[in-house]
Amino acid sequence: MNSGNRIAEAEHRRLKASYKRRRNIVALIFLLPNLVFFLGFLLLPVISLFWQTFHDGGVLSPMRFVGLENWRKTFADPLVLTTIRNTIVYSLIAIPAVFLLAMIVALAMRTAQHGRSFFKAVIYFPTLQPVLIAALMWTFVLHPDFGALNLVIRIFTGEPVNFLGDPNLALPTIAMVEVWKGLGFWALLFFAGLAALPTEIFQAAELDGAGPVRRFFQHALPLMKPTFFFSVIFATIVNLQLFDSVFVLTDGGPSNATATATWYVYRSLFTFNEPGFGATLAFVLVAVVLVLTAVQTILLKGGGK
Amino acid sequence: MIAGLFRRRPARSLRPTVSMLVMSYGVLAIACIVSLVPFFYVLSTSVKQTRSLFSYPPDWIPETLFWGNYQKILFEHPFLIWTFNTLFVALAVTLIKLLIDAMAAYALAKLNFTGKAALTGVLLMSVAIPVAALIIPLFFLIRDLGLLNSYWALILPPLANPLGIFMIRSFIVSLPDDLGHSARLDGEGEFGIFFKIILPLIKPGLVVHAIFTFMLQYTNFLWPLVAIQDERKQVLTVGISSLKANFVVDWGLISAAALLSAVPITLLFIFLQRFFLAQNLAGAFKG
Repeated sequence: MNSGNRIAEAEHRRLKASYKRRRNIVALIFLLPNLVFFLGFLLLPVISLFWQTFHDGGVLSPMRFVGLENWRKTFADPLVLTTIRNTIVYSLIAIPAVFLLAMIVALAMRTAQHGRSFFKAVIYFPTLQPVLIAALMWTFVLHPDFGALNLVIRIFTGEPVNFLGDPNLALPTIAMVEVWKGLGFWALLFFAGLAALPTEIFQAAELDGAGPVRRFFQHALPLMKPTFFFSVIFATIVNLQLFDSVFVLTDGGPSNATATATWYVYRSLFTFNEPGFGATLAFVLVAVVLVLTAVQTILLKGGGK
Repeated sequence: MIAGLFRRRPARSLRPTVSMLVMSYGVLAIACIVSLVPFFYVLSTSVKQTRSLFSYPPDWIPETLFWGNYQKILFEHPFLIWTFNTLFVALAVTLIKLLIDAMAAYALAKLNFTGKAALTGVLLMSVAIPVAALIIPLFFLIRDLGLLNSYWALILPPLANPLGIFMIRSFIVSLPDDLGHSARLDGEGEFGIFFKIILPLIKPGLVVHAIFTFMLQYTNFLWPLVAIQDERKQVLTVGISSLKANFVVDWGLISAAALLSAVPITLLFIFLQRFFLAQNLAGAFKG
């Protein structure tokens, strides 16, 4: 009797183990095609990026070990500090600006029910274009000689404004182009967030005598936390990589006023032929973005509980 | 949450005041004008000769239309080849990613396996890795594989982006587990369940994923700029930006190119509008 139990138990364990193995194999088959690319083209590059921070050469000459030389150069180079500052200043202008404007547009969409799909489509249109094309199109608005905006400004002041040639204006101008291109994306995202809110809460708030402004700040905003949580993190990751519009509009100038971290990484590889130095700066960028994302996750998720 | 968007919601009972309505339509009208004005000005530039651009006062709408810019971009530059390359690469990445992301999403949403929580955590964290920072190691990797200047160089690296897995996972998670259980009792294997039951049920999610991936590829600039030197293998964004590299910039040519490059994506937008406008990526990160 006792031994029979033991045999049954052993049989049970064996079956359980074989079930578990089978289960893992099935899951692996579903995951493997994805993991191959994930490991090869994301995790491996991150690891070799770290490895490259201790090496130099590799484009024309073979790579050689240089110890901490790249790290020393990175922290000694004033342009590195400038690019990091520009990247952060740009993000601090562009992200709040596009969020504020997109929220206003989203609220307007929610109120105005007639022709909503028409407005959505038109406002989304710039978002369809690659940043590069959007930036090129803005050249035709901003150019001192034939830019549409400058032609209008000349009627009033006689003098064109050199938006991209003025070190004080260049970075805010690039932020403006990015805001123009991103507005439709964020407006529709926020609108989807607003539309998903339960109507009952607003009806109850209205019965309590809350006006539209109070309804928005006290009831709608707190409920949209999941949308904002995603938006802040996603926008930070994307904007800290700013490159396309800088490349085509100013190429870092005037006098490095629009030089961003990614721009400098690109130039280190292709113009200055210093891949080790560029890799170190890129590694710093990865670290900054990961740490910022972690901090934002803790702050935004922790506050809600 | 995302799936909910495809159902029509009942009309709201809260009635906005007249002043709120006026303000709202005002905001939307201004937003529309600001969104479209640059396109119209680029259109008017594209039918002018470049040298007439610099005359002042300007003629906003030219009296005679000049088609030379369009002829030049279409027949003197490999513009159509760039367009083909862009569409081909974007489509290839989209189709491959759709399959591998849906498979991985199914495993993460409905299968049990050892190390599931750890893998989900690693993949979720990797969404935050700024891919622009990886151009140097990716450049060396693709070069060492002998793939520089090939379509493979453009197709392979974007397949690693884990964001799409979570987009599809949020659709699969919302399906009841009983669907799989009853199919298993009927003797259906996991692949049968995945292809015959799960995939048909999450079609709207797959379309949103496909459009998101396609757009990301279509608008990509930095990586193609790094990986492709051959002019005829280039994608639209890099090709058009190279037009600006000449000593004397032909602005008329660039305006025609920028406008023409908007045509394919606009056509796609017109046909698939409601999927483009289903902007609720936020749902992907709720689970």
